[in-house]
Amino acid sequence: MTVADLNFGQTAVIKNIDLKHPSSCRVIEYGFTPGQELQVVNKSIFNDPLSVSLRGALIAIRKHDARCIEVIIPDEL
Amino acid sequence: MNSDTVTERKKLITLVGPPNSGKTTLFNLLSGKKHKTVNYPGATIEYSVSGFLEQYGISAYLMDSPGIVSLIPVSPDEKVTIDSLYTHPDYGKPDLVIVTVDTSQFSRHLLLAKQIIDSGFNTVVVLTMNDLLEEKNFTIDETELSRSLGCNVIKFDPRKPDGVDTLINMLKHDLNAGQLKTQNRKNHTEEDVLCIYREIEELEKKVLRDLNNSSENNPHIAKANRELVIAGHGAGIKIPDSLTLKIDSVLLHKFWGIFIFILIMALMFASIFWIASPAMDLIDTGIHNFENFVNEGLGDNWFSDLLSQGIIGGLGVVLVFLPQIVILFFVLGMLEDSGYLARGAMIIDKPLSLLGLNGRSFVPMLSGFACAIPAIMAARTIQNKRERILTIFIIPLMSCSARLPVYGLLLAFLFPGKYFLSGLILALIYVVGVIISLIVAGIINRYKRTFLNFEDNSSFIMELPVYRVPKVSNVLKNTYSNAVQYLQKAGPTIVIFSLMLWLLTNFPADVKTNPDDVSNGDSVAVQLSESERISNSYAADIGKVMEPVMRPLGLDWRVGVSLIATFAAREVFVSSLALMFKVTESDENMSRSLINEMKNAKINGTGQNLFTTATAAGLIVFFMLALQCISTIAITKKETGVWRIPVLQIIIYTGSAYLLTFLTVNGLRFFGIN
Ligand SMILES: Nc1nc2c(ncn2[C@@H]2O[C@H](COP(=O)(O)OP(=O)(O)OP(=O)(O)O)[C@@H](O)[C@H]2O)c(=O)[nH]1
Ligand SMILES: [Mg+2]
Repeated sequence: MTVADLNFGQTAVIKNIDLKHPSSCRVIEYGFTPGQELQVVNKSIFNDPLSVSLRGALIAIRKHDARCIEVIIPDEL
Repeated sequence: MNSDTVTERKKLITLVGPPNSGKTTLFNLLSGKKHKTVNYPGATIEYSVSGFLEQYGISAYLMDSPGIVSLIPVSPDEKVTIDSLYTHPDYGKPDLVIVTVDTSQFSRHLLLAKQIIDSGFNTVVVLTMNDLLEEKNFTIDETELSRSLGCNVIKFDPRKPDGVDTLINMLKHDLNAGQLKTQNRKNHTEEDVLCIYREIEELEKKVLRDLNNSSENNPHIAKANRELVIAGHGAGIKIPDSLTLKIDSVLLHKFWGIFIFILIMALMFASIFWIASPAMDLIDTGIHNFENFVNEGLGDNWFSDLLSQGIIGGLGVVLVFLPQIVILFFVLGMLEDSGYLARGAMIIDKPLSLLGLNGRSFVPMLSGFACAIPAIMAARTIQNKRERILTIFIIPLMSCSARLPVYGLLLAFLFPGKYFLSGLILALIYVVGVIISLIVAGIINRYKRTFLNFEDNSSFIMELPVYRVPKVSNVLKNTYSNAVQYLQKAGPTIVIFSLMLWLLTNFPADVKTNPDDVSNGDSVAVQLSESERISNSYAADIGKVMEPVMRPLGLDWRVGVSLIATFAAREVFVSSLALMFKVTESDENMSRSLINEMKNAKINGTGQNLFTTATAAGLIVFFMLALQCISTIAITKKETGVWRIPVLQIIIYTGSAYLLTFLTVNGLRFFGIN
């Protein structure tokens, strides 16, 4: 499951970053690293891009880029 | 640079930091400059250098840089930026680097600081936005951070000069003490970044202090609590600004978001017309009175004509539109400072991406409404080359502020006294301009393999800054300097063109009056000789060349000559029309407004009115599309690196402008609107 599959308001923990994805480097630089908790706080019209709360900041990210962020939902642990 | 000896190289201090972390604000404070600071990541796009204010007593260059997320470039443009950081082509290696860190996003912003320190730069870390962090009831222990990072760290709010002395002393000390170490460009990889982030997370536990905790004075209890807070689920520091979240739940609402977006944009452009009109009327009256005053004072001679009709009239016409320009820049500035622009970029990203553009194209396109030149430069924030060039390509279709006087005049001609309607139509002009630009983008994107042959990854990741009540004083200062720039740019061009036009229309001066016409009475004879003089003038020679081109549009050579003048600056169109018609359509009542002159103007040799609903609408269409600005062409060449793009623009835009103007004029006439 990736951030792109999360629902509005859902919280998840980053499991892994797919380093084969062309955006992976940018995504890591913006602070998406394994172990970090994030929440999808808003979705733009057409459900894309997403606004994600991470490390105390809000980051807008396209679904295409969000696809390289693999997450797990804590309740499912 | 010139006065310094080669042996005593003036030292260089470079400001580096993530986007929107306060670099330019600090730069302005230390150098006394007034560069634009905006609540949007990516405001600064170019390195700029200045000295320190004298009072600080630091003899070194201070350099402001574009915001970067990390030292790893993801695009060729970013590579240039980062290379210049290591060694600037003109100023060399920095003797000291000031890294700004927004503490409300401490861990994310510390990444770049760590990378800079690890690369061996002589570094001072300035912690900004401490007020925002304290609102969340946290603070950073700068002594502890300084020890861990191994460099000086200072908390500082660059918006106020309080405590700047401590910073200055620190800079002086480090500038002299720090040796220029050899900088190693580590082979940064994703793994390196992950590793740095792990270090930062450890560091954060050590330096982050909870202000809620009354037992802060007792380090042991504080430490225990700290770890609890950090480890705890949903620790306060990880929650974004609560007010920002609330505002976003409305402005970024899945459905309402796009409506509010459209509403904000529409209101912005309509208000330009509505609010400005009373002020414009006032200025207009003032100028006419002044014109008459000069004319009466100097009597009826060529000098008085030139001064009152040419220079004062020409400048006046541009001055009349100053209120609109001021409002445009003010509203844009308020939007920029509020933090909404990044949201706008996010909302519009999906639709734009379908056309081969990017959410990051939004701000360049929006600033294209002020002026295409900074807008084209702002496109540098778009990493993907194809999207960047496409954005640059369509920016000239955004109606820039230089076109406002032209639309203003033509709308006032079409709908005299109807401000509300004119405002709506003006908003419509802007919207149609945008729609056309999107269609052009879509078409080019469709055939991109022919036009723009780049294959790379398109992405959109952008931090959304915290909402803020815009600082009106800041916005006003910015508006003021933009207004001054508008006048400085338009003023001299208009004076020169007015002079040239006046000369061209008045010389050669000695033309014999046709004796046959004297019988028609004196007044007619004067008029004829005047118009005859014009038709023998140099301007008319140019006109004869223009006439065949202008005729199909229902216009004559006088409009044609004015259109040529627009290549220097579009505003000149209005002033040159004013001059042309006041000179060519001579009458005794000089106080008649340009609008009245236009109503009376006849096409040469016929009784047909020159300016009709059809031709005025046609001219609006022409100005919406035609690429008529030499500076835009030059900057496009510079930013894209090839002539192909601006040449293509001229052919497509000016060609279709002519065609569509032709269709508009003749279409309207066909339906009986004249
Ligand atoms: N609350 C608060 N706002 C600040 C502080 N420092 C700067 N700002 C504001 O932050 C915004 C961004 O500041 P800039 O100086 O433009 O940031 P920058 O680092 O130059 O940004 P880019 O050029 O986009 O990389 C401005 O609106 C500033 O007024 C601070 O200490 N506290
Ligand atoms: Mg800046």
